[in-house]
Amino acid sequence: MDMTLNAFTLYILTGLQLGSIFVLIALGLTLIFGTLGVVNFAHGALYLIAIYLAVSINNALGFGLALILVPPILFIFGVLMERGLIQRFYDRPHTDQILVTFGLAIVLQELLKWVFGANNIPFAIPSWGNGIIMLHDYLPFLEGFVVYPKWRLILVVVSIITVAAVFALLHLTRFGLVIRAGMRDAEMMQFLGVNINRRFMIVFGLGSMIAGIAGVFGGPVTQVSPEVGMHLLVPSFLVVVIGGMGSLGGAVLAGILIGMAQSFTAPYINLNTVIIYLITVIVLLVRPRGLLGAKGVFE
Amino acid sequence: MTDVKSEKSSRTASGWSRRSVLKATSAGAVGAAATPLFFTQNAWAEKAIGNYPVKGSEVVLGFNVPQTGAYADEGADELRAYKLAVKHLNNGGGMLDTLKPSKLTGNGILGKKVAYVTGDTQTNADASRTSARRMIERDKVIMVTGGSSSGIAIAQQYLCNELGIIFMCGLTHSNDTTGKDKQRYGFRHFFNAHMTGKALSPVLSKEYGKDRRAFHLTADYSWGHTQQQSMQEFTEKEGWSTEGNIMTPLKTTDFSQYLSQVLNSDADVLVLNHYGANMVNSLTNAVNFGMRDMQKNGKNLEIVVPLYSRLMAKGAGSTNIDGVLGTSGWNWALEDEGSKVFVKTFTDEYGFPPSQAAHTCYVQTLLYANACEMAGTFYPPEVIKALEDFRFTGAGNGDTLYRGADHQCIKDILVMQGNSPSARTSDFDYLKIIDQVDAKTVDYDPAIFGGELGPYVPA
Repeated sequence: MDMTLNAFTLYILTGLQLGSIFVLIALGLTLIFGTLGVVNFAHGALYLIAIYLAVSINNALGFGLALILVPPILFIFGVLMERGLIQRFYDRPHTDQILVTFGLAIVLQELLKWVFGANNIPFAIPSWGNGIIMLHDYLPFLEGFVVYPKWRLILVVVSIITVAAVFALLHLTRFGLVIRAGMRDAEMMQFLGVNINRRFMIVFGLGSMIAGIAGVFGGPVTQVSPEVGMHLLVPSFLVVVIGGMGSLGGAVLAGILIGMAQSFTAPYINLNTVIIYLITVIVLLVRPRGLLGAKGVFE
Repeated sequence: MTDVKSEKSSRTASGWSRRSVLKATSAGAVGAAATPLFFTQNAWAEKAIGNYPVKGSEVVLGFNVPQTGAYADEGADELRAYKLAVKHLNNGGGMLDTLKPSKLTGNGILGKKVAYVTGDTQTNADASRTSARRMIERDKVIMVTGGSSSGIAIAQQYLCNELGIIFMCGLTHSNDTTGKDKQRYGFRHFFNAHMTGKALSPVLSKEYGKDRRAFHLTADYSWGHTQQQSMQEFTEKEGWSTEGNIMTPLKTTDFSQYLSQVLNSDADVLVLNHYGANMVNSLTNAVNFGMRDMQKNGKNLEIVVPLYSRLMAKGAGSTNIDGVLGTSGWNWALEDEGSKVFVKTFTDEYGFPPSQAAHTCYVQTLLYANACEMAGTFYPPEVIKALEDFRFTGAGNGDTLYRGADHQCIKDILVMQGNSPSARTSDFDYLKIIDQVDAKTVDYDPAIFGGELGPYVPA
């Protein structure tokens, strides 16, 4: 590997932006698991719905409306999904939850394929986010001409803002306090007169809404075809496992770790293909609960 | 004794008894029933192979295409073409009027009405084999055809060869299909990666100059590997150098980690040995990385997509493919009689023009049917012999040879260029033909890829 400072910078940026998509998807997954205890394999399909909605609205009405409309629509969709299906599986084993959500993911994927076709729908980047940034203009240590797509750096920023917002919601608000308490002992919260089920419904909607944000900004990067959801689901799920089931900090850490690993192993196809699984095995052997996982959860 | 008596008593004046008349009549009837076989070529050697002999008044063909998965749109177009081919075989019309030489009459194949069954390959080797086996064993198909990926085509070709069923490949472009993995029972009408390299490289050096440095991103499976080798071989013959090649996993949706490597290299041409969704994503990502507006070594950085399809071009969007060069096996804008009649009948039937995948699948079905008619039998070894070294015209690619040595069609191929959004007049002209490279130019020695066809009668 020709590791000049230029190359190293590109590797780091690529790792960050690859990690950003994983973090955005894993954030919703881990939030739902941490609060509701549901392993939601339909989360990739939520991302899929988001990118199809985003590209449709973007192509018809512009990116601004896609940004305003898609996350709330996904929130409503998440709430309906939780009320209609997921809540019936709260007390069922994880295997039942995985089967029903995985089945739902396939149904949604095939439904979208039926409506939009199996071919890719081009998702154009809005003009303000198009183009490249001349990194050498901002980073004096770079030699010559080093550029990076503006949109991918915007994606990293969006990811950071979303993570910060979720942390703030959980740690700085009364709603977050109740949720965190509910995560510890939902039964006790109900004895104290808190309608924890209603709040869990909102958490599911929030997880879905984050998939909506990921779809709006990630769509132009992952593009829009029916297989995208499933392709992202496995690495995102592994990010949750590596980070620790239910740990938001862990998801962020693991997302960046996986992104970096993929970036730095890009020239070596064999290693690049298995690196995520290799990291998962090593982490689970050394620390069964994941990097920042709570003791006793999925250990 | 009684029997002997009665036999004697019933003997006629001419010396014939009733029993001997019955015996002679029975033998005559059996002989008469078998008579057509005596006049069939090599009938003395015919035995049951695969689903031969065909029983009943219908003959069933198996169309195994991707109905789900990444190539489902291409598979849907293939299926449309197959259905049209069946319609024309049973009722006449279409390329039956232009294919020469042809013994097709529009009355089915060898007087039997053509029926079909369909299967879903799911663009997965195991699923495609399971589906093909079901067609062969349950539905008793005499021939299997289809597929939108080389890995799938090769998997089915091996299975069909083993079971004595002719496999007419759909869309497969790897050199291996009619190279190291060629089979006596497998036939490919579509062109291959070697022919792409041979046709495209001179155009590339003419357009972009001889002093170029190429970086390849390559789909990590049979087709990608052979496509990359062929492009490297022929561009280097034009004077280009190869800066690097990265194999990319087939399921990659974000190619940024590989494109960063390209940015970090001295390459001034990016060759995307990707097909379908891979190509759509890698090209779109490359455009996002500013590679269409970038300069390297004092030259514009160029992107090349060796194998093009209309569906891929549409998926990538005309802004992204504007000016990008590649090759195709066929295009609906061709003006020869075969292409025109195919486009017209397809458009009349479905409301839009066919893709190159549809074209190759349609032609393959007609060629198989015609080979049966020429052989006068469905007996696979005779049909294979009829296809081998069959020269034909009127099927959309000029004079074509179905080469006997490797079962590869040698025909004209097209160099294509992405149309700009302003130049497009419909939703189907994402690509324009800039050159039709003749069959002689893309011809090659079949021995270079090795492989063995194997025996006419499977072991």
